[in-house]
Amino acid sequence: MKGKFKVYSGSWFQGFLILLSGSLILLFCLVFTSLVLWPDTHALIRVLTSEEILFSIQLSLITSLISTIFCAVIALPVAYALSRYHFPTSGFMGMVISLPLSLPPLVAGIALLIFFGPSFFGNILRFIGIDIVYTTTAIVIAQFFVNVPYLIRVMRSAFDSVPPRYEHVARTLGASESAVFLQVSLPMSHQALLAGLTITWSKAMGEFGAVLMLAGATKMKTETLPIALYLNISTGDLDLAIASATILMAISVGTLLVFEHWFGVKRKV
Amino acid sequence: MGLSKTLGDFHLRNVTLTIDDSEYFIILGPSGAGKSLLLETIAGIYSPDSGKIILDGTDITDRPARLRHIGMVYQDYMLFPYLNIEKNIGFGLRQLRHPSHDIRKATEGIASLLGITHLLSRRPDTLSGGEQQRVAIARALVIKPRILLLDEPLSALDAITHKKMRNELARIPMLTGVSVIHITHHAEDLISLGHRTAVMDNGAIVQIGSPDEIFQNPKTPFVAAFTGMENLFSGIAMDSHEGKVIRIGQVKIHVITPYTGPVQCGIRPDALIFSREPLKSSARNVLMATVTKIRRMGSIAWVVIDCGIFLTGVLTIQSLYELRIDEGDTIFIAFKASAVMVFPEETQKK
Repeated sequence: MKGKFKVYSGSWFQGFLILLSGSLILLFCLVFTSLVLWPDTHALIRVLTSEEILFSIQLSLITSLISTIFCAVIALPVAYALSRYHFPTSGFMGMVISLPLSLPPLVAGIALLIFFGPSFFGNILRFIGIDIVYTTTAIVIAQFFVNVPYLIRVMRSAFDSVPPRYEHVARTLGASESAVFLQVSLPMSHQALLAGLTITWSKAMGEFGAVLMLAGATKMKTETLPIALYLNISTGDLDLAIASATILMAISVGTLLVFEHWFGVKRKV
Repeated sequence: MGLSKTLGDFHLRNVTLTIDDSEYFIILGPSGAGKSLLLETIAGIYSPDSGKIILDGTDITDRPARLRHIGMVYQDYMLFPYLNIEKNIGFGLRQLRHPSHDIRKATEGIASLLGITHLLSRRPDTLSGGEQQRVAIARALVIKPRILLLDEPLSALDAITHKKMRNELARIPMLTGVSVIHITHHAEDLISLGHRTAVMDNGAIVQIGSPDEIFQNPKTPFVAAFTGMENLFSGIAMDSHEGKVIRIGQVKIHVITPYTGPVQCGIRPDALIFSREPLKSSARNVLMATVTKIRRMGSIAWVVIDCGIFLTGVLTIQSLYELRIDEGDTIFIAFKASAVMVFPEETQKK
């Protein structure tokens, strides 16, 4: 009897912990399925193909792709510099770069709003005819600002984990510094890069706080998917809100699967 | 002025070495002696704190690694996992922007020299250790380096591949004209490769010579211990009416040495002669002893005896049976005064 019980759990303590985990996961599943199942399927399909939702999808896709590309262009060299070079301020710089990570996106957003709005810099920009605030460009900037520290973090630890001897060998074989970066460090970190880009893109698709502050919530103008959710829930249009939520959820699940695929493989090694 | 460098816990202290053209040079030392740091400094990965590196009469101390033409092969090969074997070997020539058909030709040439042509389209993770080793060597040799640096090239290989690879490595200078510097912590590699060797300890070169010189005539107790001298003791050397003797506790052994006072001395296990009766021979030291332990290893046996001090000797299994030596037996051992190596007591190292 005792032996049979041991098949399922080693102790009461272990059994309790597993039961607790199971309950939590059950709760998660219930919460998310009830969201998707709330509207009837026909209504959901109808709103998913509505002009507003299609606009939001398009806007979110375009802005998130552009901001992700910018993130990659900036984060890769910065992460490499922070990982490889140790100069007097490198520790401090690493900390400053990580700051937006721990900041609530709303705070980052309002800081951006002041910077591009009434501040000296914003005035200069407007003087030369560039007004960022409440435009689609603002969406890209907000997404970039919130996400680039994350990608830098991911890529920095990826570069940290590349054994330096690969780079040493490349150098003895005649590779210049830039060739070492492009032909050794970067390909050696391609798994982390793909995973990092996927998460960055998914975070950009879902970015709300910073976008709301800097780009505003204007229907059919700066209406990304999360903004659409917000606008429609405030006007009581539940079906539209749930439609955006469903898409965002699908993206998260997709991202999670891609992430698990790349990192799941890595973990086994 | 030799080469000095400190990197983390590793140090090089005033290292001076001269390697000849097409020479196979071995650096022997324990882990942490600074061997890898020395290689990486020669390769230009790190620049020395002081000292110079001269290649063919030119000072290359400040020349970046990529312009030195010094090939490097690490113990774990460091093949680029995202490139196939052909691309791995061609990596250096692509950096030098050779035309692609030249790269192909050179890659195939070096691959056939090292017998790895059949591997060219494979990926590194599908290769055995020995195969990866050859690819790493091919990748380093294809750029026609002046020097090839090998960091523990045999340590990660199984016994059979080890032996085979050792013979192939020894042929590299003849085949390509390159000078090879091979670092290892296995004293056995010296015997089989049999070339000029430097012994390194704690960042400094302690002895340079042929393997024979190093085994037969170790300059310091460290070299003696590291090259397999089992019996090392501290004692006091003094003159007596029978010539020079060393007192180790209650035991007195005859030696030939210019030193007096505190010394260290070593006796190779194979210098001990075992017998049942006191032996009449030219050997000056004959001691009665008790056998405390016998370790059989293949065709030889290590015999630990107690004659006031513990000594380890080595016998063939055949001798062991003919002498009918068993644990607990009382026997006699003999060794020549000249078989005892004497080193002045070292001041404690940092």
